[in-house]
Amino acid sequence: MGLRVLDAVELPIRYEANIAEVRRSARALAQSRGFDSFATAALTTAASELARNVWVHGGGGSAMVEDLSDGQRSGVRMTFRDSGPGMSAADLERALAGGFSTARSLGLGLSGTRRLVDEFAVDTRPGGGTVVVITKWTRF
Amino acid sequence: MAHDASQFSVDERELQSRRAFFELTDDDLRRLAALRPFAERHLDDITEAFYELLLGHLETRRFFPDDATVRRVKAMQRQYFLGLFDGRCDLAYAQNRLRVGAAHERIGMAPKWYIGAYRRYLGLILDRVFEEVGDPVEARAAYQSVQKLVAFDMSLALDSYIDANLQTLGRHQAAIRELSTPVIRVHDQVLLLPLIGTIDSQRAEQVMETVLMRITEEKAEVIIIDIAGVPVVDTEVADHLLKTTAAVRLLGARTILTGITAQVARTIIQLGVDISAMPTRARLADGIELALSIVGKTIAPKAV
Repeated sequence: MGLRVLDAVELPIRYEANIAEVRRSARALAQSRGFDSFATAALTTAASELARNVWVHGGGGSAMVEDLSDGQRSGVRMTFRDSGPGMSAADLERALAGGFSTARSLGLGLSGTRRLVDEFAVDTRPGGGTVVVITKWTRF
Repeated sequence: MAHDASQFSVDERELQSRRAFFELTDDDLRRLAALRPFAERHLDDITEAFYELLLGHLETRRFFPDDATVRRVKAMQRQYFLGLFDGRCDLAYAQNRLRVGAAHERIGMAPKWYIGAYRRYLGLILDRVFEEVGDPVEARAAYQSVQKLVAFDMSLALDSYIDANLQTLGRHQAAIRELSTPVIRVHDQVLLLPLIGTIDSQRAEQVMETVLMRITEEKAEVIIIDIAGVPVVDTEVADHLLKTTAAVRLLGARTILTGITAQVARTIIQLGVDISAMPTRARLADGIELALSIVGKTIAPKAV
């Protein structure tokens, strides 16, 4: 049985307050799908990091929250999209290695987020914006 | 007006643009000025009929709790009504109309009530204009002019209502922000800041400033920051906490972080954030004990 998207909602990220809305949406879906408290905290924190990246680095964009099922497990997939400056392959590599940031703060956002979720993919190029897709699944 | 919440104002350009859109011409104003004797004749009966609606409706009746209020607002209403027939629509006129919206916002009268009241106004004027102005062409023109000015007034009242409302919201937000950084004095030289809710950049800055100020005021040695009520500790929040700790250290004081849940501890480690610069305790009670020991005190059982 393949992957099914049961529901999807797209949230704008234009103001700082939108970050909290994305976070709440991720938390609500994770809880309603039976994620345990650790997985819920991990997904919510990852959503917070990536939504903040969209707002800070991408100049705003959107977050798509999808309710997934693979027939056995429930999943939450989130797609963060911005049309900001994007990153070169070298920048991305450094960002994923951690401790790298073009703005202030700790520079752990992307590398840390990758460790919080089950699936993680980035699509970016200089001048072409950034798309980050993460998925977290319920555990057996 | 000290309590006039609205900062909304109209300049000459805005006035002209609005008048153009409402098609409010100098001919309209002249026509309204010519109706002045008509308006004076009907001042009382229109005002009375107008308040019949407002006082006859339970939800609007409550805005007029006593006879003195009713007398006062009726007097204001007379001025307002006559103002429609002054034959002018300049900045002073607009400013006067703007106050209507701000005043309604202050007493909590929603736009639906005064839009409905304006409707009654127009109805009352319509009947009387067509009764008294013999020529139907002239009567229609006169009524059109009244309608334009009333709609113009309504637009100003709504704009200032919305503006005053936004300012009220802003004041509430500021009040909540202040409430949300309550620094408590636990003991001599020991302060406690329980953080609750979302930490956005504005709030983080306020937390930092409040903490530094209170440490200076109280000559505190230790501040305990309790994050049990913070839903998510991401790198941004961790960064703020670390910066606050560094600033506190510059004042010669120390920070203790408490209220870390198991979930937050796990998430922080996965994120790779190093918060070892802050002494941490899971429970607030343990944080308080640690703080007291730093200032040379202990909690001991009472000697019997």
